[in-house]
Amino acid sequence: MKFSRKLLLWTTIIIAITLGLSGFYFVNYVFRTSLEREVGQALDENSILRFAFQTAALNVPLKYDLLQDGSVEQIASNLETSGQGSGRLLRLSDEEKKVLYASDGFEADDALLEETEENRYAYRVIRQGERYYIQTGSSVNALGRVLYLETLRDVSQVFAERETGFTVYRRLMVLMLALGIVIMHFIASRLTKPIRLLMKATREMAAGDYGYRAEQVSNDELGQLTQDFNHMSEALEKTIDQLEEEVQSREEFVGAFAHELKTPLTSIIGYADMLRSRKLDEEKSFRSANYIYTEGKRLETMSLRLLDIMVTKKEGARLQKAATETLFEYLRNMFLPKEDMDFQFSYEPAVVTADISLIQTVLVNLIDNACKASEPGSRIEISGHVVEPASAKREKEDKKGYWFGVRDHGIGIPAEEISRVTQAFYMVDKSRARSRNGAGLGLALCTEILALHGSRLEIESTPGQGTTVSFLLREEGKEAQHEESHV
Amino acid sequence: MIKILIVDDEKPICDLIDMNLSSAGYSCVAVQDGLAAIEAVEKNAFDLVLLDIMLPGADGYDVMEYIKPYKVPVIFISAKHEVKDRVKGLKLGADDYLIKPFDVTELLARVEAVLRRYNKTDKVIALGDVEIDVEARRVKRGGSPVSLTSKEFDLMQLFVENRNVALFRENLYERVWDDEYFANSRTLDLHVQRLRKKLGWEKSLVAVYKVGYRLEL
Repeated sequence: MKFSRKLLLWTTIIIAITLGLSGFYFVNYVFRTSLEREVGQALDENSILRFAFQTAALNVPLKYDLLQDGSVEQIASNLETSGQGSGRLLRLSDEEKKVLYASDGFEADDALLEETEENRYAYRVIRQGERYYIQTGSSVNALGRVLYLETLRDVSQVFAERETGFTVYRRLMVLMLALGIVIMHFIASRLTKPIRLLMKATREMAAGDYGYRAEQVSNDELGQLTQDFNHMSEALEKTIDQLEEEVQSREEFVGAFAHELKTPLTSIIGYADMLRSRKLDEEKSFRSANYIYTEGKRLETMSLRLLDIMVTKKEGARLQKAATETLFEYLRNMFLPKEDMDFQFSYEPAVVTADISLIQTVLVNLIDNACKASEPGSRIEISGHVVEPASAKREKEDKKGYWFGVRDHGIGIPAEEISRVTQAFYMVDKSRARSRNGAGLGLALCTEILALHGSRLEIESTPGQGTTVSFLLREEGKEAQHEESHV
Repeated sequence: MIKILIVDDEKPICDLIDMNLSSAGYSCVAVQDGLAAIEAVEKNAFDLVLLDIMLPGADGYDVMEYIKPYKVPVIFISAKHEVKDRVKGLKLGADDYLIKPFDVTELLARVEAVLRRYNKTDKVIALGDVEIDVEARRVKRGGSPVSLTSKEFDLMQLFVENRNVALFRENLYERVWDDEYFANSRTLDLHVQRLRKKLGWEKSLVAVYKVGYRLEL
């Protein structure tokens, strides 16, 4: 059953019980008060009659010492008629409780009479046919006799009033209940609206619409729940988006990887097949064999690079304190003997905390890329300097550390390609990169290594003028990671 | 002479296709990017375009869209192997889709098939004194008809289409007999012997040790 229905049902039940009980109590209370008043009046009447009887008995001529039964009858008859049509009903009995006189219609049994004793009142409510009466009984002492006087007072009116009260009240209750149900229906549906909205949102989300949000219609706990639910949905959506992005980038990687793998394989398989199944002239045989060799080399480069990335990812960085001089000295020895480029080194000596062999790999890669992008003989500047917070005021205050940069004066990278160059297998100019034995993995490896150092590549480039690739080894980040590496 | 345009950004692959198609008797032109491909199609009438998808300049799909009005048959040759890529290529109007790495004989067969569909194959092939009418499945030697069984004709056609290529026994079985290769079966050798005798190819249809046969002409 729906929650709003339950709410409605229970409220209805409670309203019905409360109204019923209070109504019953109220009508009964009114009835009792009336009845008590009637009883009081009945007893008063009884006393008046008794007094009247005694007075009348005194006026009876005293022929005997005792009041005669005939006189009693006479007085009673007089008393009855003196009621002037008010329907006074009375009965008189003697000491033995034998009835001496009874009005017409006085049909009550003798139960009350039996109970009535000398000098005592008694009364009861009796029913005769359709009518209700209060029967009173008392003893009368007159002229040496003890007589019992009973009266009947018609109280049907009071009972009828009670019935009417019940009827009216019942009708009222039905009306109130109907009204209550209607009002409660609206209240319940209003109160449960947030629940229904939440339910809808849950279903929408389950069906895959992660962007759906429940509308908040109240500020109570349910409203709070809606708010929390929406917060949760947001977090969920974010995670899902992130996962989807990850999956997509992985798919892209796999796609690119497959492509990069299949291209050299096509050549290798094709030329090998030609060599084994055809009679080729010497020139063609050489060309085929050469293609197999170069494409095989290309596969080798790619697999080694991939291995580098995987190993780097898996092993992480071993951070140690090292002098930048050693690093730059190493690079200088490596590149200066190459005379086709004009290498210029400028650096500040300092001590950095890093995995120095990995940083070396990054710089070698960056310098290699710079060479590939430049014409022979052009200048390539390799520099490093300490960055103090003061000198980097325009940047964020936490930029403190050691800055490495490689600047070339080569072809540059088009602005729209900059964000993609660090993707695995991405090559701005494929044929050019290929001809220089590139696999499109160098910057991906650098990104991976720098991520381990809490840093990333910054690329600035103007097509036709050159490119500056730089990164910053942060001091704070370094220390945090330094501690980690000891754990 | 049938002219084929090869579009692939990898020089080695262009060369590979070029060498094979040239030796099968086609004339080839190779270009290495999409824009050059469009230019080439605009300037020359090609009978077939072999198109890579990942191309610098304009990618294969763009090139396809662009050259559609020229009504040149196109075969995509790509490393993109997913169904959605293949469907996209074919829906764009390509006649076939070949996935890298491909087998050279398969490439030749597909080229042949597409050209046949467009009625662009040379219907009568002349090899020395042998004349072959592929459509009518008739063979003449020195002007007089030679009668070949259906299997013999299929086998001969395969050799002719792959002139100077050594064909593997298992490959021949698969293509002619639609069958798995039985190592000990002499059926193939028997058919080859009959072909040599009927067409006078005793010297040109040579056995290749541990491989199969090759037609050298």
